[in-house]
Amino acid sequence: MSTLYDWMTSTWINGLVLDYRWTWPALETLHFLGLCLLIGAVLIMDLRLIGFQRVIPMSAVHGLMPVAIIGFAINLITGVGFLFGDPHLYVINYAFWLKMVLVLLAGLNFLVFLFKVEPSLATLGPGEATPMSAKAVGAASLVFWFGVLTFGRLLPYLGPGGG
Amino acid sequence: MAFLTWLEATSFGDWARSSLLGYPLLIGAHAIGMSIMVGLALALDMRVLGLFKDIPYTALNRFLGIAWAGFAINFLSGTGLFAMQATTYITDGTFLLKMALVFAGVITAGLLQSAANRSSASWSSSAAPGAIRVVAVVSVVCWVGATVTGRLIAYL
Repeated sequence: MSTLYDWMTSTWINGLVLDYRWTWPALETLHFLGLCLLIGAVLIMDLRLIGFQRVIPMSAVHGLMPVAIIGFAINLITGVGFLFGDPHLYVINYAFWLKMVLVLLAGLNFLVFLFKVEPSLATLGPGEATPMSAKAVGAASLVFWFGVLTFGRLLPYLGPGGG
Repeated sequence: MAFLTWLEATSFGDWARSSLLGYPLLIGAHAIGMSIMVGLALALDMRVLGLFKDIPYTALNRFLGIAWAGFAINFLSGTGLFAMQATTYITDGTFLLKMALVFAGVITAGLLQSAANRSSASWSSSAAPGAIRVVAVVSVVCWVGATVTGRLIAYL
């Protein structure tokens, strides 16, 4: 494990994050804006999948996907900054790993939606109820992403060195 | 000032400061409420400005009800966080700027909501008229600004 720490703390990312006073707060601020973009788009897409506001065509909801992806990309990049900046803070914290597992589950759930569920929705008429598979994927997505958000925000207070 | 001193000294303020759970609970709820309010407000603003025009604005406007629920979470959790250190926050320029931005953001959300209720039939599948687009731009500035200043209260 210590070689991994050594490698992370020897990279230029570590220098960028730690050598300037404002990098960390700037990354945190961007991480917050990214999560707002992601959650906002995800909320609308998932609630529509569950059955809210059926007047919105399923194909139109797809238009929100880039917003979610941009939000996620911002948070992936800034998240790597935190991890390489101070790996000790994260690697020994169970809340961090729980958050990562939830990100992974959200990603797998997204793939199920993209390749299994969404194609089956193409025949859905306007105002028609979504199938159970769509409701399940939408609900799971909300649980995973709000879990990611919660464990991410509470990370400093959980696990060793928390409080 | 006497009121703020009293607020800090209430058993709630005392609990929030001294209990192990108080601050994490309030700050966790505040992040959840923010993601709902700011996330939905930004998505609606983008729609007003002409993105994802296939989504009828009248339908998207219904999500504002959920956004207000997010706002309520943050009004309550924010009041709790404020009670922890009321006398400190009240002299903090970053905090005061954030409050002004939230206040202005709420006004823009209200304006957009009433504009949509009145006239969105005419722009249901296009960008909104100029005046409404200006409100959406102000809204983006307010909510992004509130998020940035809110996060930076801890650093400034």
